[in-house]
Amino acid sequence: MNSVVDIKKNAATAVSAPFFARGELVEGSDAVHRSRDLGVNFATPKINLDRIVHPRTEVPPLLNVPLAEIIDFLVETGQRLIDPNNALVQDCVERMSSTHILPRAVLENQVKGAAAYLDKRLLNTVVERNFPDPKALDQWIPQQDYTGRRSFVRAFAPRLIHVLPGNSPGVAVKSIAQGAMVKAVNLFKMSSSDPFTTVAILRTMAAIDPNHAIVKSMSAVYWRGGDSAVEQVLYRPQYFDKIVAWGGGDAINNVVKYLGPGFQLVSFDPKTSISMVGREAFASEDTLKAAADLASADVMVLNQEACVASRFIYVEGDHEKVDRFCQVLHKRIVERAAASGDSRPLEMDLREQIETMMMMDDEYRVWGKTDGRGCVIRSDEPVEFHPINKTANVVSVPSLDEAVKYVNVATQTVGFYPFNRMADYRDRLASGGAQRIVHLGEAGPSTIGNPHDAMYPLHRFVHWMAHEDGCVP
Amino acid sequence: MGELVSRLTGLVEAGNRYDIPSVELREAQIAAINERFQERKGQIKLVSHRAAEAGINEVRSLEDVVKLLLPHTAYKSYPESFLAQKRWDRLSKWLDTVSTHRVPVAKVSDVAEVDDWIEKLSANGFFVSCSSGTTGKSAMLVASQKDMDWCKKEAVVAYSWGSGVKPARDRRIFGMAPIAHVPRNLATGEAYTRALQDPKYERFVYPVPPITVGGLTQMVVLRKSIADGTAKPGEIAAYEEISAARQKAVDEAVGITARAVVEARRSILHVSGLWAGLYNVAKAVRDLGYSAKDFNPENSIYVGGGLKRAKLPDNYREFVYETFNIQPERNYQNYSMQELHSGMPRCHAGSRYHVPPWVVPLILDKSGDELLPIAKEEYEGRAAFFDLSLDGRWGGVISGDKISIDFSPCACGSKGPSIRDNIVRYADLEGDDKIGCAGTVDAYVRGVA
Repeated sequence: MNSVVDIKKNAATAVSAPFFARGELVEGSDAVHRSRDLGVNFATPKINLDRIVHPRTEVPPLLNVPLAEIIDFLVETGQRLIDPNNALVQDCVERMSSTHILPRAVLENQVKGAAAYLDKRLLNTVVERNFPDPKALDQWIPQQDYTGRRSFVRAFAPRLIHVLPGNSPGVAVKSIAQGAMVKAVNLFKMSSSDPFTTVAILRTMAAIDPNHAIVKSMSAVYWRGGDSAVEQVLYRPQYFDKIVAWGGGDAINNVVKYLGPGFQLVSFDPKTSISMVGREAFASEDTLKAAADLASADVMVLNQEACVASRFIYVEGDHEKVDRFCQVLHKRIVERAAASGDSRPLEMDLREQIETMMMMDDEYRVWGKTDGRGCVIRSDEPVEFHPINKTANVVSVPSLDEAVKYVNVATQTVGFYPFNRMADYRDRLASGGAQRIVHLGEAGPSTIGNPHDAMYPLHRFVHWMAHEDGCVP
Repeated sequence: MGELVSRLTGLVEAGNRYDIPSVELREAQIAAINERFQERKGQIKLVSHRAAEAGINEVRSLEDVVKLLLPHTAYKSYPESFLAQKRWDRLSKWLDTVSTHRVPVAKVSDVAEVDDWIEKLSANGFFVSCSSGTTGKSAMLVASQKDMDWCKKEAVVAYSWGSGVKPARDRRIFGMAPIAHVPRNLATGEAYTRALQDPKYERFVYPVPPITVGGLTQMVVLRKSIADGTAKPGEIAAYEEISAARQKAVDEAVGITARAVVEARRSILHVSGLWAGLYNVAKAVRDLGYSAKDFNPENSIYVGGGLKRAKLPDNYREFVYETFNIQPERNYQNYSMQELHSGMPRCHAGSRYHVPPWVVPLILDKSGDELLPIAKEEYEGRAAFFDLSLDGRWGGVISGDKISIDFSPCACGSKGPSIRDNIVRYADLEGDDKIGCAGTVDAYVRGVA
């Protein structure tokens, strides 16, 4: 806990991170916090808890706003986010680059790229994939069962807390859009590495129409994850229906203890993604280069900060072949890393384990160093640490069938090569716990509206309400 | 041992060892570290790797030393699969990369379990101590016979300085915590017994099964197999049963210990343990109707480690002192870590931990990469030390602790460097703000820790 003296001393050097409370900007520097990775200070106002909870005696502001109008508003927001004259976004990227480990250019692309999600066709598709009948968002849908009993069903507007992750600013855009489309009352808990983007987007929305119901439905604040002074008060079914949380470990354990009847968790779990490369990659020099290049693209998604970024690459072949693959892979990772201008050295713990492997060189082989410019480790079993910061572990397997056992409940995306063998593997991968199988090199993109984390999230968000209307006479 | 090193370690029993200003020692310390480095760079594989990477052939400054420090995690850099798959030859080979003396891989690898491996190593002069880390994987710290001999001597003289107790074999020792059954603990336990324990009595043995490396490993291995998805429900159930039996023994030990300590109340006692165990026994003693007035005012106490996540009432310290009638000057506190073989005893006037001349404190930035300039006043940073007493492994280690050090004289009068009694682990400060969509299967493993 900061002492008062600390707060006064730090506030002078801290970056300002205002809040947004149900449509209004809240500025202040009552508290100084430290960002997760870079240890930079940022100052926030005090949270006014009463202002960010929407009373249950009032229906959610968006309830009777047609979905089409909401989507139009989001599309307009997207236009303004990519507008080079949007000072709010420029300023946000500026501030974020002081607290975030990713380079400025990557962050800027993230925010702009995320705006692409705010596309009319895209948003409509997302809703259509999530709801068998999207009209349930706008009205009470009449239905009748085979016994003659009638009712109306509504995908009623929920009250949601979104615990946002810190590693990918794009999630803020997506979360706002999804929260708006289900007409929720939304409270966004921002992360310490990005306490800016969400508020910048909401301010951009308020600039379109400060009195629009979308704007009135949104609040964004920061508190330190696990701070019981806030969580003990807010995490109650009387205030919110669901908590939408990313991450695992302590972040989720903090949340889990508040769950109970009426206060449910929709979790976006922490995930590890992998690649599988078949013997076909060694058909020629060209196929080898192509496969290694595709693999490097998947390793380097968001400079390996994202969950879709590959960390373990299972390659079908003996050491001689696999080592040739590693060499090209390493070269391509280094090139991509250099192009991104990002060369944070690996954390001490990781550095130590990799250096140990360099010394146990009859069992492991290492390309590159632990300087953050790209590193590849070849082993016969996956390494026990979590490869991160441009580090790939290539595991030599006699057959990809052998690699299936390494798929587990934390596995998200499996990038596969060659593409024609994917169907042979998808059932076993799903059974092991995996959620997506994709062409190698395409870990990032996904078909619009596809399930995420083995569910259709929007369908989970809403408060399904039934109005029973008796039997037909 | 080199001459320059011995000059400093030879001060172990010198009355003024905490009273030498750091500036007067600095040159001798750097020269001694260089002497060590010249001996070890061809012996410890990891150190020679580190030196080659940093391009260091000679240690001329504290900055050079920093480049040669090993993080505490270096001693847990072995793959856990070696344990799970009982590949003792591989584990021996790994141990060799951090050992000064060559590990006789072939001689020690033909064993069934990890405890047998540790025993075989001991028989060959390699004493491996395992930390019972709360995060699962244990550090494996190799040491030599020289190190064991040193620990025996150093532990007792540091205790004597910090508690003001002259070892006179007139006390009865009451350990109130299950102790990890590792060579270093056994060696210091033996030394304490020889120095303090009244030979008329048997030393009290805390009535729980000892924690062995095998026991710790069992948990680590199960955790890994749960993560892999290969653990069967029956295996988890069997482990839960063992844990429950162990917990029962721990619970029962409290009452047994309380009754034994009450019976011994007329003798001068030395009680030791961790806060949770000490508090529980103290409470049981109070429940039996005994308190300070029933115990000897000469009693002493030694508490190892911090709270270790135990949840106790705010006044737990006072409660323990008052129960056993511990006077403030008989309260021995010591700052050390498994990675070091020397302690830093706390003084009473200043309540600060004092660094002896053969332990070189290096205060680094939070990331552990850069040496912070030595300030005139107290300043804080990540603690690193070079313990010149260490023989069987490298003496330079970067800890996970955040400390405040002062190179100016302490209120107690000692002129050597001292550390404030507010040490925290960086890992505990980071908290739980770390959320991302990327993560490991560790988040999916529950209950085995």
